[in-house]
Amino acid sequence: MPGPYKRKKYHYGDTHLKKSWRTKRRTKDLDQIDSDLQPDQLEKAQRNQEIDFEKPGLGLFNCVHCAHDFINEKAFQDHIKSKRHKRRLHALKTEPYTIEESERAAGMGSYVAPKKRKMETCLPSAIQNGLDIQEITKKPKLDDAKNQEDRDGDAGMKE
Amino acid sequence: MRIDKCFFCGSPMYPGHGTHFVRNDCKIFKFCRSKCHKNFKKKKNPRKAKWTKAFRKSAGKELAVDPSFEFEKRRNEPVKYDRALWTETITAVKRIEEIKNKRQAKHILDRLKKSKEIQKAQDIREVQRDLALIRSPAAGLKRPARDMDVEEEEEEDKKPIVGVAAMEDDLDTSITISATKKVKKLAPKRQRAKIEEIRDSDQEMEEN
Repeated sequence: MPGPYKRKKYHYGDTHLKKSWRTKRRTKDLDQIDSDLQPDQLEKAQRNQEIDFEKPGLGLFNCVHCAHDFINEKAFQDHIKSKRHKRRLHALKTEPYTIEESERAAGMGSYVAPKKRKMETCLPSAIQNGLDIQEITKKPKLDDAKNQEDRDGDAGMKE
Repeated sequence: MRIDKCFFCGSPMYPGHGTHFVRNDCKIFKFCRSKCHKNFKKKKNPRKAKWTKAFRKSAGKELAVDPSFEFEKRRNEPVKYDRALWTETITAVKRIEEIKNKRQAKHILDRLKKSKEIQKAQDIREVQRDLALIRSPAAGLKRPARDMDVEEEEEEDKKPIVGVAAMEDDLDTSITISATKKVKKLAPKRQRAKIEEIRDSDQEMEEN
């Protein structure tokens, strides 16, 4: 058979969309974010903001509303001005749909209409305290150096 | 055996139907069919899809708040089997269902009644706004300068028109009739005017 083998996939269609809908790539739902935004949860998260090497920007520049990490303060500030963030704030203004509401809507109990509330961006504590990321990145390096020493003496295991 | 409710559309899920999705925070989402599951995956808001129960209740299309909804609930309390209790609950369920249906029907009827009032108000507004389509606002304002006889006749005609305009319902037909009358009476006047003009022009020719 002359020419190229024709059963190649030339048209990708919307496979990229279907990929984003897979559970593997599933992002946080609005009701999960709503529970994160509860005052006690927020306080907890801001008090023990940990340095996470897996996350971008060490997990310090996290937008709670969009459940997204940013690499530095500038990226975070740019994000706050973006349409995506504003849209999310608008969506969170009304209480999100939950399993309880779905049951009430289906006739198990009287339906309670969702309430409206004010929504303002929550700044992560790194920005509030004005932490410098370079200083923060230095610290863990020192810790790492310590750990390496410890490993030789098996001190890391105790920790 | 339990009849679950769909997370997205709120319809009952009978045994052997639908799918479950367990989120990584252990919450179980139940979907009656792939349509609902797909919409969930796309993160659609059920309150905004018109075919869901959540929309119909939040938009006030269906009866949403009623004590008759308080019976069907997930209680998480084990009950020991008792034949008397069982028969009693069955009869109660039937009775409650009957009352609920009646109230839901009444809710719809009330909404229809309201829509009738709104429709009527809208119709009246439309007639008042678009009256110009039936009767020109300039009608009767301009008076022909020449034939005084015709003018007098016209004045006589006007009176009934004003009287009719006050009645709303018979507006359309009466005005059309009067309009046709007017045209008939105006026609000879125009002819006369033309003739006069022609005569004038003839005289001018003779003078020249």
